[in-house]
Amino acid sequence: MDRLPVFLFALSLLGCATVAPQQRAILADPTMQFDAEAKHDAAFRHALENREGSMGGTGVSGGGCGCN
Amino acid sequence: MRVQLGSRSGVVVVLAAACLAVAGSARAQSVVEVDTSHTIFYEAPTKTHMFVYSPSADVQASPWAWLDVRGGWEADVVSGASVATKAGPAYASNHADVVSTASVHDLRNLARGEIDLKGDVTSLTAGYAYGIEHDYRSNSLHVNARTDAFQHNTTFELAYARNFDSVCDRVQSANAILPSQWTALEDSTGCFTKAAGRTTHDIGIDTYEASWGQAWTPVIETQLTYTAQLVDGFQSDPYRSVILGEGLKAQEHIPNERAREAVTARIAWYLRSIKGAVRLSLRGYHDTWAIDSGTAELELEKSLGESFRVMLRGRLYKQAGAVFWSDDYTGGVPPLGPRGQYFTGDRELSPFWSWLAGVRAVWTINPAAHQRLLGFMQSFKLAGSANMQGFSYDEYTLGGAPVSNAIAYVATVSLALGF
Repeated sequence: MDRLPVFLFALSLLGCATVAPQQRAILADPTMQFDAEAKHDAAFRHALENREGSMGGTGVSGGGCGCN
Repeated sequence: MRVQLGSRSGVVVVLAAACLAVAGSARAQSVVEVDTSHTIFYEAPTKTHMFVYSPSADVQASPWAWLDVRGGWEADVVSGASVATKAGPAYASNHADVVSTASVHDLRNLARGEIDLKGDVTSLTAGYAYGIEHDYRSNSLHVNARTDAFQHNTTFELAYARNFDSVCDRVQSANAILPSQWTALEDSTGCFTKAAGRTTHDIGIDTYEASWGQAWTPVIETQLTYTAQLVDGFQSDPYRSVILGEGLKAQEHIPNERAREAVTARIAWYLRSIKGAVRLSLRGYHDTWAIDSGTAELELEKSLGESFRVMLRGRLYKQAGAVFWSDDYTGGVPPLGPRGQYFTGDRELSPFWSWLAGVRAVWTINPAAHQRLLGFMQSFKLAGSANMQGFSYDEYTLGGAPVSNAIAYVATVSLALGF
């Protein structure tokens, strides 16, 4: 488990410069963004977290309880 | 039931800073973005219902290319009912209608501010949020560092947030030494004042997140995220009581410490044949209350022309219950019965699974350089979404009555304008 960060970093190096700049048009498309509408979906994600016993994967910012 | 009101000073400071930034940036003829969103949540499970309206407004100014300044406000306006006293089937079989509900009318206000320093391949973000409710206060700080590497094909991001929260509770009788003798808070009257009979408990929340994003081909990219959270403090619902035995009703009592961690793997794959992308997200979660969960989420988003996108979303979620969770602490056949020193009536800590289906549409207009929409706007984005979520509770009942119609609806409309 302690070696997991090292393993992940090494794995990330395998992907270095896999896509040339001139090939990045599709990667920049809004449909390829994981959180292109993060603000729009913020309240929806907040509602999900308050109905489930889990969290994670959507950023760390936030505040207040809003536990209803 | 966490109600909110309170000092407006935090809101005023953040909005004033945002306005100053906007004014300054206007003189520099730089970009100012204003956006607002409005969300409605409605759920009507057995014996209770809940309606929440959540408006928000944010302003972002970019006076220089290397700096973004944001300020915003959001609120939750809540009305409905919640389970005030939880009992299970073993106890309910000898008592009529032991589950009581309480009406809920809450207001949460939250003000936030954030600055973002941007370089060619790195960005640093710092922000603060202040949340107020009748019975809850929240001060939240967060920092975030992000960098691109290998011709922007690799992205690393580290984030940390610290919450300094406090929750209102009643002062227990001097004779009530054991948690099983404690009485639930009846309402939020007198909270965060010097009123006799009211006290507060601190809650500290540390959240850590690290993510790695990677573009593998011109049409495939992935993201791997690890999130950890340490919660230390009063985490019970102060208003909720649990029936523990004949003539014994006590305030919910759950552990003060909770360590949570999650790993999320996401992949986005562009399909040229449909001019759209498929995004898959898988998340595994574990915490020290023995809640294990898995989440699978699939999104399909397609562009329709230059300015319109539509997305379909499906999601499945399943979790195990907390080790101390029981549907009936008074006895009965396992899995009913007492679970050590803790007791809760929280259905979010029970074992269940849920499904979700949703749709989202986004209309974006970005005019050519040096042109303005209607003569004054640099950008326009209107988005709407609707989601429906259903819950199936394995063990949670209301005095033996299954919660059969737990369907939640969430709809959002948002508008973002750039000047």
